[in-house]
Amino acid sequence: MENNNTLPTTLLVGLLFAGGVYALAVLEYWSVAGRLAWARPVRLALKLLAREEIKPRQRDAVFYETAPVLLLAAGTLAAAVLPWSASTPLLSLATGALFVNAAFAYAMVALVLGGWSSNGAYAMIGGWRFLGQLLAYSMPMVMALTATVMRAESMVPVQIVLSQRGLWNIVYQPVGFGLFYLAALALAFLPPFDLPVAAGELAGGAWADFTGARRLVLRLGRLSLVMSLAVTITVFYLGGWQGPGLPGVVWTLLKTLLVAASFFGVGHYVSRVRYDLLLEWSWKYATPAALLNILWVGILLLL
Amino acid sequence: MNALQLFFLAGFGLAAVWFGWRVFRTHSMVRSAMSLLACMVALGAMFLVLQAEFLGVLQIMMMAAEMSIMAFFMMMFMMDPGGLGNMNMTHQQKPATALSAAVAALLLALLLSTNWPAPLAQVPTATQQNHDLGIELMTRSMMIFETAGTTILVAMIAAAATALVYPPQPD
Repeated sequence: MENNNTLPTTLLVGLLFAGGVYALAVLEYWSVAGRLAWARPVRLALKLLAREEIKPRQRDAVFYETAPVLLLAAGTLAAAVLPWSASTPLLSLATGALFVNAAFAYAMVALVLGGWSSNGAYAMIGGWRFLGQLLAYSMPMVMALTATVMRAESMVPVQIVLSQRGLWNIVYQPVGFGLFYLAALALAFLPPFDLPVAAGELAGGAWADFTGARRLVLRLGRLSLVMSLAVTITVFYLGGWQGPGLPGVVWTLLKTLLVAASFFGVGHYVSRVRYDLLLEWSWKYATPAALLNILWVGILLLL
Repeated sequence: MNALQLFFLAGFGLAAVWFGWRVFRTHSMVRSAMSLLACMVALGAMFLVLQAEFLGVLQIMMMAAEMSIMAFFMMMFMMDPGGLGNMNMTHQQKPATALSAAVAALLLALLLSTNWPAPLAQVPTATQQNHDLGIELMTRSMMIFETAGTTILVAMIAAAATALVYPPQPD
């Protein structure tokens, strides 16, 4: 483990991440309402902070408090190992690609805990649905990442970016990119795959019984998750900081915001996927496609 | 191993024991499974303190999904549908206590009587560990892992197949 977390780097990464999350909050509203309302996230945050906290009477006290914080932690932890430029990963782990997955796995734990602990039927169904969704997205996601690791012959995110010097992974392994992109949507329970919190169906699902500040932390956690996933796609498939002219950090930010905007755009135009279909497609098509992608990359590497 | 490492190793070890204890001190399947998850994460953190980066991160990653799925299955197949009910997690307490004490004593005796080799002066770097593990898995241990993996897969498919109802019944 080597550390790059000098104060300027930490501040830079923190600011970029926080700014990105803010921009995402604006973009999310844009995908719903069709206009950019720059002050809205602040107003919404203040409103949620001031609102009365209504807690279910027979909740599980420990898990109810843990779930929002855990979701935020899951969303932000990956940011520590993801590089915005060659010198900006806060923590350069030799198992970076695996660490990113490990951090994201706890988003599921947070939602299951949140849904279960609030002791309401809708919330619990939402939480368990996300567990089912995990079965659908986790295998394609890990196997797609494996293929990028194969090409770089390293799990260090910086090395994975450097391996895309000549050709971005989106061109080198388009199937892997497609799978990772869809899996990322499912992981962040964004609209086509938003069954765990399904608006209009489960009364808010896994986070139906969270109000006020806890609701705010959950929303922040979800946006951080989307942000981390967008950075992950940029780093693993879109050549990271590489690009002509502009400084690397700017390229990463631009690509990240573009990916995030496309997430929200997709959600706006595609209808919700039923979760038995999701599981069926995952096992029948996505997992075999991920294996074929590994074979494809293996052949390209041996050529 | 320096003092700081020892401190964190002991800290995570105690946390693991505490959460392991909590597994049996609750009356709910989900609380129990989540305590077990916390216990496993503490074990993963111990791997990280011992500079076994791959094993630590892998442990922390795998256990999140495994323990949640376990909680789900325990609720499905045992008599506690919501996971919130008052289920006694301990059975046959006296024989179980005696057996646990005996096993603990045996393990301690084994630990203390084994002539452990001296610890490595220099731990291989994390990158080197990944490389060595890959070589190990792809050469000497390949047959073992492939056999175990296929066996587990067959068991999972068989379990799913026996749970299905044929011919499909209308709901």
